[in-house]
Amino acid sequence: MDQLLTPKKLITTMAAALAVLAVVMFACSLVGSEKISLRAVFDGPGVQAAANPDYEIFVRFRLPRIVLACLVGAALACSGVVFQALLRNPLADPYILGISSGAGLGVMIAVISGLSWTLWGRSPIAVFAFAGALGTVWLVWFIGRLTGKFHVTGLLLAGVVVNAFFSAVIMFLTSIAKSEQVHSTIFWLMGNMVEEDFLVLWIGTGCVVGGIVAMFYISPQLNALSFGDEDARSMGINIARTRTVAFAVAAGITAVAVSMSGLIGFVGLVVPHAVRLVFGPDHRRLLPLSGILGAIFLIIADTLARTVIAPAQLPVGVVTAIVGGPVFLVLLVKHSRNVGGFK
Amino acid sequence: MSGIIEVTNLSFGYAAASPILKNISFEVPPGTFLVIAGPNGAGKSTLLNLICGALKPQSGEIMLDASPIESYSAEALAAKVAVVRQESMPIFGFSVVETVLMARTPYFSAAGFESQADRAIVNDALELTDTARFAMRPLTNLSSGERQRVFIARALAQDSPVLLLDEPTSFLDLRHQVDIYDLLKTAQIEKGKTIVAVTHDINLAAQYGDEALLLGMDGSFQHGRTSEVFSAEHIENVFNVQVFAGNIGRERFFIPLGKLAKDNRQINPRPNNNKS
Repeated sequence: MDQLLTPKKLITTMAAALAVLAVVMFACSLVGSEKISLRAVFDGPGVQAAANPDYEIFVRFRLPRIVLACLVGAALACSGVVFQALLRNPLADPYILGISSGAGLGVMIAVISGLSWTLWGRSPIAVFAFAGALGTVWLVWFIGRLTGKFHVTGLLLAGVVVNAFFSAVIMFLTSIAKSEQVHSTIFWLMGNMVEEDFLVLWIGTGCVVGGIVAMFYISPQLNALSFGDEDARSMGINIARTRTVAFAVAAGITAVAVSMSGLIGFVGLVVPHAVRLVFGPDHRRLLPLSGILGAIFLIIADTLARTVIAPAQLPVGVVTAIVGGPVFLVLLVKHSRNVGGFK
Repeated sequence: MSGIIEVTNLSFGYAAASPILKNISFEVPPGTFLVIAGPNGAGKSTLLNLICGALKPQSGEIMLDASPIESYSAEALAAKVAVVRQESMPIFGFSVVETVLMARTPYFSAAGFESQADRAIVNDALELTDTARFAMRPLTNLSSGERQRVFIARALAQDSPVLLLDEPTSFLDLRHQVDIYDLLKTAQIEKGKTIVAVTHDINLAAQYGDEALLLGMDGSFQHGRTSEVFSAEHIENVFNVQVFAGNIGRERFFIPLGKLAKDNRQINPRPNNNKS
C-alpha cells in the first residue's frame, strides 16, 4: 500500500515537474537568433525615445511564444491522455476524431475565399480553424452515436473516415488554389507558432488550465473506464456523464490549441505514453504530469524550430517528430519490458 | 446489509421475435448462494446482465431490496451489487492494489483520493482473497487464477450485499476452481453476502450452491434447492447429454458420457430405451 499515490506524493512530483518547466522556460527565453541579456531585460521598457531592444525582444517575441508553446503542449498532451482512455486505444491522439482535418479545412476555406475582414484586428483563420475542429468532432460524435450507444469502434471508424474525407477535400482545394495561398496553408498544417498577443494568450490560458482542471476531476473515473464500460458502470461510475465531460473538454482544448498554432503532431500521442511508461497509468498523476511534460517538450521543440536554421524557421511539427520519435523509442524499449505497460 | 433479489415474470430477447428468457420468476433471499446453470445460449449471462442493470427487461420486473433495479443510480447500484465478469483486462497496466482501489471510486474525496476507511476495506479484500502478496504487481503479469482473485477482491471492496459472477472459474485448473468457490463461500458466510454465480461446472455448483436456477434452451427453467434442481433427469434433459450420476457423502456428482468414448457401452443408441 505504500506505493499508492497520495495527495502529498502527487503534489511533490508536480512541484518538481513545474520547477523543471520553469527552468526550461527561463533557459529557452534566453536562446534565439538575437542575443539578449537578462540584466538589460530587467531594466524595463526604457524611455520613449530610446527603447530597450532587449526588453522589447523578450516581452514581444520570446515570452509570448514560450507561453504559447507551453499552453499548446499541455493541451495536446492532456487531451491525448483523455482520448486514449476514452477510446481505450493506445494509438489514439487528440486528432484521431477528425479535429485535424476539420481545422485544416476551416483554414483552407478561410485562405481560399481570400477573406479580407478582420476580427478585433486579427485574421479570421484562427476562428475558422476553431469552428472547423469543433464542427468535425461534433459530426464524428453524432455519427458514432448512430452506430450504437457509444460504440468505440464505430466512433473510431467514423473519425478515420471523416478525417480521410476532409483530407481529400483539402487536397482538392489545394489543387485548385493559387500557390501562395497553398503555401501559407501548408505551413499551418505543419504547425505554425507565431507570436500571439497577450489577449489571445490570456484567453488560451483560461481555456487550457480550466480544461485540465476539469479533466483532473474525472481522472479516477477515467481509471475505471480503462476496464471497459460494463466494469466501470458496475463500479458505480456514471459513464455517460464522465464520457461527455471528457470528450467535450478534450475536444475543446484541442480546438483551442489548434486554432492558436496549427497542427502539431506527435505531442498528444507520445507524451502520454512516455509519462505512462515511467510513472504508471494512474490518470490522477498521468494527466497533470503529461500536461507539464507536454509543455516542456513543445517549448524545447519550438526553441529548436526557431534557432536551428535561424533566421529562417522550421515548422515545429517537424521538430516534434524528429526529436520525439527516437526519444520515445528508447523509452519504449527500456521500460515496457519491466513495466508491462501494454497488453 | 441486505440483498434480496426478486425477479417477477421476466422476459428478454435481443431480437423481439425470439426471446431468450421467457416469463422467469424467482427470489434470492439475503445471504443465499444461487448458482445459475444451463447450456450455452440459454441466457445465463443475459440474466446476470439484467440483474446488474446493464440490460433492461422487455417485460417483468427485477426488484433489489424492494426497489426496482432501474430506480437505482449507477452509484447507488454499485453500493448494492458488485459484478465479476469474465476476464476483463484494462488497456493499461494497472497494479493489483490500484485495480482493487477503483472499487472505492464513488467514495473518493473531491480531489480524487481515497480515505483511510477506503484503504482498510481494500486491505480486507486483499487479505480475504490472498492477493495482498502480489498487490504491487501489474495485472498483466498475473496468472488467470490470480487475476480472477483480484477481480473478486475488487468486487468485495465495493462492500455490496450482492455479488454477481459470470463463470468465475472458466479458465482455471481444478485446484484454482476449488479455491475460488471456497473464497466465495467464505464471503457468503463471513460477510453475509448474497452470491449469484453463473457457471458451467455443475459439480462445483452442486457442492457450493444453496439454490440453483437451471435454464433450458426452450425458455423453461427450474428453480429450487440445489439438490432438487440438479437431478440426473433434469440435467440430461436440459443439456441433451447422458450423464453418470453418483454420490459421495451428501454431495451428488454428474459425469457426462461421450458417444465416441473408448468404452461407450453405457451410451444408449436411443434415449429412454435403457432396459436392453
